Amino acid sequence: MMRTVVVVGALVLGIGAVAAQQDQVKQTQDMMKGNGKNAGALAAMVKGEKPYDQAAVNAALAQFEDTIKKFPTLFPDSTKGLKPEGDYFPSPKVWEDRAGFDEHIASFAKAVADAKGKITDLDTLKATLPTIGKQCGGCHETYRVKNS
Amino acid sequence: MLRRIFLSSVMAGALAFAVFWWLTIPAVVSPDLLAAYTPNLANGLTTFNAAGCSSCHAVPGQPDRLKLGGGLAIPSPFGTFYAPNISPDPADGIGRWSEAEFVAAVTKGVSPAGSHYFPAFPYPSYQRAKVDEVRDLFAYLKTLAPVSGKARGHDVPFPFNIRRNVGIWKWLFVDGKPFVPDPTRSARWNRGAYLAGSLGHCAECHSPRNFLGGIIAAQRFAGGPNPEGEGWVPNITQKGLGEWSVSDFAYFFETGQMPDGDSAGGAMARVIKNISQLPADDRAAIADYIKSLPPVDGPPRPKKAAKGGKS
Repeated sequence: MMRTVVVVGALVLGIGAVAAQQDQVKQTQDMMKGNGKNAGALAAMVKGEKPYDQAAVNAALAQFEDTIKKFPTLFPDSTKGLKPEGDYFPSPKVWEDRAGFDEHIASFAKAVADAKGKITDLDTLKATLPTIGKQCGGCHETYRVKNS
Repeated sequence: MLRRIFLSSVMAGALAFAVFWWLTIPAVVSPDLLAAYTPNLANGLTTFNAAGCSSCHAVPGQPDRLKLGGGLAIPSPFGTFYAPNISPDPADGIGRWSEAEFVAAVTKGVSPAGSHYFPAFPYPSYQRAKVDEVRDLFAYLKTLAPVSGKARGHDVPFPFNIRRNVGIWKWLFVDGKPFVPDPTRSARWNRGAYLAGSLGHCAECHSPRNFLGGIIAAQRFAGGPNPEGEGWVPNITQKGLGEWSVSDFAYFFETGQMPDGDSAGGAMARVIKNISQLPADDRAAIADYIKSLPPVDGPPRPKKAAKGGKS
């Protein structure tokens, strides 16, 4: 009896842990997709496809800030090596070179902090967006892999 | 009888070896063929940015893309290559090279010492570059700061480490033809086709390769497994990127941002660092050309492939 309880308990815990990991992966993916959507909205304004929209700019910056706050928890050790469905997965380097990864987060944080309050019209957006955009590619160069 | 068989097999072997040797003679560029020319340094910089030299030759792990000391590891199914030092350092870089040696290296894939370079160096594309632009590039490289220190040697196992064999590979996959403009297309499109097909060497990564490492011509630009290991290189024909407009391509080349807000990663992030420095007209020209690529199906993706062509 005792043994059954232990085995079942371990299984439940195990499933719980796996589910938690998958939740985390999903949350991280959604977060990144949200960033992409916002960056895309800003790019559409720069390209002249959409009119300048201060509310959308503020919303995008707020979401970038939120991401930066959560970044340290988005890639816990328990999700290392998981290859989720979707377009991309994190490179093992996220965990192998945590210091380098953290530097990129800090650099992204700085770019967003610098941009805050400075984007007030299309010209300032055009001037600022590239510095933020560079942060995306700068980190994805090393720490993100495209799924096959 | 035995003696005759022995003799004829020795002769057949010698003949085969002679044919092999003849087929694999590294090409040279005679300085006499290079007419007098004053290099254009500004165009040398454009050539440098279009060719993406620093994507591979910049010292990895530091921000200065003009520090061309090499050392980047380039994994492949045939072993790992290490990008050499192409700074003007006389001992460790190309400081002592002649212009003709440089032209031979870039367009023929042959070193000053007369041996074949491995095609990890994208000379199958660079061969289509205009010789004068390569001379501009050489002059520009000479203006950069020398970086001392040789990059480590390639880690390529037998039989791929026999450089003479690369001569056979070239015979199969390198035709030595220059870029030929298409008179039915606009000047801008032709400029884009030239940049993408020669200096830009887009197809080197964005095409599937056969078991010998040659590009499968029918699927040029249609993407495939990442030769550097994990992941997938996107199909950049209209099959994969049909939703992108010409201005989407141009904006991506400038910023690394895709229409849906996603950003370039992996080796493409380094490519963007260079082509973002090109004149806007050149980026627009490449955009024009890439947008015109007819839709081609790439190799099938392994199991549980998500959505097809999306970058």
